[in-house]
Amino acid sequence: MTLHPTVLALPVAIPLIFGALGLLFQSVRPTRRVRIQQTFTGIGLGANLVLALIFLVFTLSGGRMAYQMGLWPAPFGISVYLDALTAIMLTMVGLLSVVIFPFALATMDVERARAGFFPLMLFLLMGANGAFITGDLFNLYVFYEVLLMSSFVMLTLGGTPSQINGGIRYVVLNLMGSMMLLLAAGITYGTLGTLNMAHIAVRMGQAPYLVQAVIAGLLLIAFGAKAATFPLFFWLPSSYHTPHPVVTAIFSGVLTKIGMYSLFRTFPLFFPWLLNDWQPMLMTVAGLTMVIGVLGAFAQPTIRRLLSFHIISQIGYMVMGLAVAMTPNEFGVGFGLALAILFLMHNQLVKTALLLGGAAVELEMGTGKLNELGGLVKKMPVQATLFLIAAFSLAGFPPTSGFIGKLGLLEVTFSAGQWVIAAVSVVVSLLTTMSMIRLWQYVFWGKPHRTQPNRSGRAPHNAMLMTTGPVAILVALSLLIGVAAQPALDMVQVAASQAIDRVGYVQVVNPELTATDLQSLQELPAANAWRTAESAGG
Amino acid sequence: MTAFMLALLVGVLFACGAYMIMLRGQIKLVLGLGLITHAVNLALFGTGALKRGAPPIVPEAGATAAMASQFADPLPQALILTAIVISFGVTAFIVVLIYRRDALTGSDLAPGELATVINTADPFAGFDPRATLPEAADDYDILQYELDEVYNRPEAEVVYE
Repeated sequence: MTLHPTVLALPVAIPLIFGALGLLFQSVRPTRRVRIQQTFTGIGLGANLVLALIFLVFTLSGGRMAYQMGLWPAPFGISVYLDALTAIMLTMVGLLSVVIFPFALATMDVERARAGFFPLMLFLLMGANGAFITGDLFNLYVFYEVLLMSSFVMLTLGGTPSQINGGIRYVVLNLMGSMMLLLAAGITYGTLGTLNMAHIAVRMGQAPYLVQAVIAGLLLIAFGAKAATFPLFFWLPSSYHTPHPVVTAIFSGVLTKIGMYSLFRTFPLFFPWLLNDWQPMLMTVAGLTMVIGVLGAFAQPTIRRLLSFHIISQIGYMVMGLAVAMTPNEFGVGFGLALAILFLMHNQLVKTALLLGGAAVELEMGTGKLNELGGLVKKMPVQATLFLIAAFSLAGFPPTSGFIGKLGLLEVTFSAGQWVIAAVSVVVSLLTTMSMIRLWQYVFWGKPHRTQPNRSGRAPHNAMLMTTGPVAILVALSLLIGVAAQPALDMVQVAASQAIDRVGYVQVVNPELTATDLQSLQELPAANAWRTAESAGG
Repeated sequence: MTAFMLALLVGVLFACGAYMIMLRGQIKLVLGLGLITHAVNLALFGTGALKRGAPPIVPEAGATAAMASQFADPLPQALILTAIVISFGVTAFIVVLIYRRDALTGSDLAPGELATVINTADPFAGFDPRATLPEAADDYDILQYELDEVYNRPEAEVVYE
């Protein structure tokens, strides 16, 4: 299968075009406006998913390609780059948006829909796709901002006091994260003289260790803040429970995962040796993220607050996979990264399923407080069953995707000799199980509490299929990954092997490379070279 | 010397911005964010060489590599331009959020400091959150929840038909 490289502009172009078309009708009579915008969003999301699936098929057969925007040659223009990791992320985010779309159609209230919720979904997707596909550090910053602006508006759409409060925290902390990313891009340009990721990869090896450490540290802070890792996660639980429940589901599947994707993309490409040098720090971050996330979840009084702490907890597993990515082990270098990617996919599916299930409960009952819910298993048997399966998948029970992801991560961390973090992750899994069972018991089991009329006036149970269908699809995919584990593992192994293949990346982006450049890519600085150099110098 | 002064300025701006963000106060938050974005923009500016009076124009004939060190690198300035536009947009958004919070609650440090009414052109002007959505739990709810949990969890009253 061959694709013309210009199609690499489409992941950004498709959402932009359909979103802009939808906004053109913003001055039309409200009911018609919403209808038209929904149509455009549906078409745009569908087209995006089809494109992403084509990319996935193309890359899984080993294909990689790059395109130079405006045909400026590689280090000068902006490159866009497609490999299996990019294609997997494009597919997952495209799939989640398509699956969430009917749920949003059924439950989104009139005010938010009229204010332009549906075109916003496309702009969020555009920012996400751009961040996945770009091969330029400054362009990555720009697409992050596109994504964040859409998310700011989505989060505060409705303008209730709690949304505004959560929104201010969210905007300020994400602006700080973006500033760190911008500073990293500036320092990269000032010291290495380039912003093209392939070119950075070539030159990073020769840079002084201090420069490498500063750039890596700033990137770690910037992406860690987006991904909600340990010291930088406070914006997430204070804002994710405030918007419309569908928005929370979209955010959990897209936003934090983009931070993780950027770590997976930049660290193995720019400074794979730092993943080994900094392993103790990354392990500490991973462990604390897991433990604090899951312990925080126990104290939460509402469905969405509880689930948003679990988002944080699960991010820790991905950081753990990244930390052992470059450590030699019996499965080969890069297997940790492969499992981290698999865990990312699993988490996107399961977490979105749980949040959509929680959203259905909240919208049906008019409250998400655990002590006002109970006994819903009689009223919503299908949702209760799907929620339970998703909860067990999150905790890591066979035969779900969570079991495969966690087992693999455990094996690879043991094999890399990191038994402390492996033990922590097992304990956290146990705590996750307890916390999810507690949630399920409060919401679905026991005696029903005082019935509250659904106050939205648009009862989700009138659209049973549109609210349970998406959850069922996500849970089915999670089970599919659990049952057909080998194809899924093959897929992520292709992605990981391409992500750690620096020479391949550089050659695809810039084929006219000199022999010395290639040599400098292959000669990695030895681990802890700077410490030995320091001690030798005195 | 110029480079040192610029570095010092960036550092001072960062420090002031970080301090102002941590104060309680909505206007101080906005100003602090503005200072930090300025600091980052100046740091970016410093990555191009600091040279005066040398426009980056290369003659058509006889351009040499040595000429590149004669003038400041124009690329960081283009990057700053993009970054300024983006941070301007985000800051404007934060100001709107703060304006709305002030109008809705009037209960920050200085009540009604910014706004007392919500513009009627606001699409959510008459929007009652409780009519459409569950209320989000705030800190008071959490306290209440804990009290309910420990002392008297309300009994079930009505069973579904």
